[in-house]
Parts: sequence; C-alpha cells; structure tokens
Amino acid sequence: MASSKEEWGRYQEALRRGDKEAAADAFRRYLEAKKAEGRGSSKPILVNLSSKAKDYPNAVPLEDIPRLMQEKPEFFELMKRVVTKEK
Amino acid sequence: MPTVLAMADFDLPTRSASGFLLRYIAPRVEPVQLLGILVRRLPFQLAAPQSDIIIGAGHGSEDTFTGQNEAVILEVGRYDPREVKDKVIKLLSCQCGVELCPDLVANGAACAMGYTDDYVWVMDSDLASTPWADKKFAGKCLMPVIDELNALLDGKSAREALDIELEGYSRNAEVEEDELVKACLEFNRSNAILRGNGGASIRARPQLSLPFRLIPPPPLLTPILRA
Repeated sequence: MASSKEEWGRYQEALRRGDKEAAADAFRRYLEAKKAEGRGSSKPILVNLSSKAKDYPNAVPLEDIPRLMQEKPEFFELMKRVVTKEK
Repeated sequence: MPTVLAMADFDLPTRSASGFLLRYIAPRVEPVQLLGILVRRLPFQLAAPQSDIIIGAGHGSEDTFTGQNEAVILEVGRYDPREVKDKVIKLLSCQCGVELCPDLVANGAACAMGYTDDYVWVMDSDLASTPWADKKFAGKCLMPVIDELNALLDGKSAREALDIELEGYSRNAEVEEDELVKACLEFNRSNAILRGNGGASIRARPQLSLPFRLIPPPPLLTPILRA
C-alpha cells in the first residue's frame, strides 16, 4: 500500500486535472493509508464558515469528502482551491 | 470602552470557532459579549456604536456577515455607518474580505480584517461541547486567530496583529504532518486580508487574569445542528 503522502500527491494531481472520479478515489485511498499508518483519529470533520447559499454543507465528515466532490461541483472547486492553491 | 464580541453558536463550525473565542478572548474583554441567540441584528446595532473593536465569528459571504442561525448582522449598504466608525473590526467568517471589509472601511471603520475565500479547518466533532480542547485539529487553525486578537487587545496595531496570525499559520503548517490540516492552514493564510489603516490600534486591555488562564469555561451543552 502506498503511503498517505503519496496518495495525497495523487489527490493533488487529480484535482489539478479536474478529474472528479480520480480525486475521489485518491482521497479514499489517502484516508485508508492514514488509518493503516495509525494516524486516523477520533471524528475529524472538515468545516467552513460559508453561508448556506453554497451547494455544499458547512461540516463534512472526512469519509464523505470523496462523494461530495463527485456530487457537488462547488465543493470540488473548493477542495481544488484548498489543496492546489489554484484560483 | 466596550468590546463587541459576537459568537454565533448553532452548528459545528460556529461552535468550534466561537468556542475558542469564549475560552481565550471573552474572559479578557468587558461586555458586550453576544453569544448564541444574542448574535442578532438588534443587540449588535445597540452595542456596536459604543465599542472600539468588533470581533465576530459566524457564517458569511462576500457581502454579508451573519450571526445566530445566519441572522444578518452586517451587509453591504444595509447598516448605519455609526456602527463601524473608527473601529477595528475582525470577522472570522468566509469571504467577507471581498466586499464587506472594503465597504466597512469606506463607511468609516479604522480597519477591517477578514478572508477572501472560505475559512476552512478540520475539527474533532467528539469535542463539540468543549471545542477549545481540540488542540490536535481546530487549534492549529484557530489559535493563530486567537494570537492575533490577543495582540490587538494588547494594543498592537492591526498590521502587527495580522502578521502574528500569518506567522502562526506558517509555523503550524511547517510542522504539520496531516496533509489536509496543512492545506487548510496554507489556504487560510493566503486568504487573510487587512483593509484600511494597518496602523490602527485600540486601547490595551488587561491580560487574562490567572484563574481564567487555568480554568476553561464549563462544557457547552446547548444543542447544535449536526452534519
């Protein structure tokens, strides 16, 4: 199994390409790798202070990130900006 | 002169952000502190004109800052300039740096600090009743904001305080092993902005007194909306 760092690199690449499916898969593998490395933890949730006008929720359990990236274009774009720093 | 400290608290992100303000900033400042259901337009309207600093944590957008259950607190073109005149303003919220912060400055605020994109972080939802205890996740992003606010309350200028926040993100990102937390730190750092007079400062407040430095507030047991 690849390390979480390697999977994170693949996730970044997929986001840059705009490939939703590959990004979702890579993020799932990233979480699995983290768990295998013993770095998975209690109940981490990705949160934001955006108003509800957006099409994504304000609190996203990490395991829901891959699904939301595929279903919600605005969330995919947010993750792309967060992870790749591309505007 | 009072401090307006607006802490929305109705879902996980507002609970986490306001929890840190409640733990580290609220004991240091005199009223008016607006928490939970008090973070609405009318209490804000009454309190803001008398204060020299406005600190807010809540959801937002490019032109709006909201309080409890997203009640609008400040919206471009829809507030009295007296509410913001000569004040140092910090909005821990999403995207207010795009339109709202420049508008606050145009209407007389000494300066306004916010973010030009979403403010994102990872929090531990198991610690929702004691959010300030979440040092592993939320603390990495939110403690630099607390350090910035403490610098302002020490009498430092807005520019100096913002630099403290930015340095905090950089320092935490450098040693962070969790790639997602690190990405959030770098993202928030790149979106933090200051509009208006960077040399603006407020009257220094006394340091947090000893009992409050050691004793956290009681757990927050009010219900919140879950993800």
